[in-house]
Amino acid sequence: MITMQELAREDAQLVEEVLGGNPLSFQLLIERYQDRIFALARHYTKSAVEVEDIVQDTFLKTYRRLETFQRQSSFSTWLYRIAVNTALDFLKRTGRSPVTAVEDPELTASPVRAQAGSGVTVAAPDAALRREEIARITQEVLDELPEIFRTVLVLREFEDLSYQEMAEVLGISIGTVESRLFRARARFKDAMIRLHPEFAAPD
Amino acid sequence: MTTACDDARALVPSYLDGELSEAQASPLRAHLLDCPACREEAKQGKTLKRWFEFEPAPVSVPAGFAARVARRAFAGDPGLLVPEPPAVRQRRPLLPFLLLATAVAAALLFVLAVAIQRENLPRSNRLDATGPRPPWLSRPAAQVEPAPAPAVRPR
Repeated sequence: MITMQELAREDAQLVEEVLGGNPLSFQLLIERYQDRIFALARHYTKSAVEVEDIVQDTFLKTYRRLETFQRQSSFSTWLYRIAVNTALDFLKRTGRSPVTAVEDPELTASPVRAQAGSGVTVAAPDAALRREEIARITQEVLDELPEIFRTVLVLREFEDLSYQEMAEVLGISIGTVESRLFRARARFKDAMIRLHPEFAAPD
Repeated sequence: MTTACDDARALVPSYLDGELSEAQASPLRAHLLDCPACREEAKQGKTLKRWFEFEPAPVSVPAGFAARVARRAFAGDPGLLVPEPPAVRQRRPLLPFLLLATAVAAALLFVLAVAIQRENLPRSNRLDATGPRPPWLSRPAAQVEPAPAPAVRPR
């Protein structure tokens, strides 16, 4: 099994070859990461065409900026950063971003109804629910969240990024990652209870 | 809730995310064993995470995607979603600049007109001539060259 260090070394080697003008090496880099970037992009739109546009633009931007890639950092983290920014740009350009600069959810009070001690919490998914049904409900609730909260939950829960990696991808401190995740989970809980009261459970 | 509980609850999310070192996690685990309220808090966090613990649907990447994108990248394709380059951005409209320039010119003309008007006003309310003589009138009379007397032709 390939280790993280070997993966990073191979990435660095492929990057050098791409910068040397080898299109096949770039194709290999894309093949290595395309599944993860497609999976990430589909959290931002349900349209398969738009998902493909986001992923394609992510890799085209990656190629154009490859000379600025700092070799000491991880290529995958750098790629994630471009992918997240491309997806968020896409939301803004299509007018689908629920958060504007003047309505920064970090600065506004988060809902406290579903937080600890409020008397209501979220039950675990029913064992009888099929995987597709759990995925549909989770995505429906995620879609309700402002994109900065959706992004931290996606990066943490689906992409399994560490706090350090998330901080690098989002360009924020680890402390901000922690507080944003805390708020995101509170919002998720709140939206779940609002959209699916059948999953509310007494505290 | 004690201070120990406050500290423990602040660490619970990082603990559930696997972000704590063993040195941090060990005392937290001990506290959770002793404290039912904090244990319940951790249980709720764990329950919420179960909504994300499903096997995601397989990703369907279009056939030949990587080769196509690599080809386009090397051909200089900037992509669909890139912002418009500055060169093709709409130029700033001329009208606001013209209005501003006209307003500034009008203000300058007004100031100039007021200054000229003030210059023409008398400098004193007194009408007598006892004030200081202006320099062009204080030239001594002796220095004034007399006009040559007309020559008298003898008869």
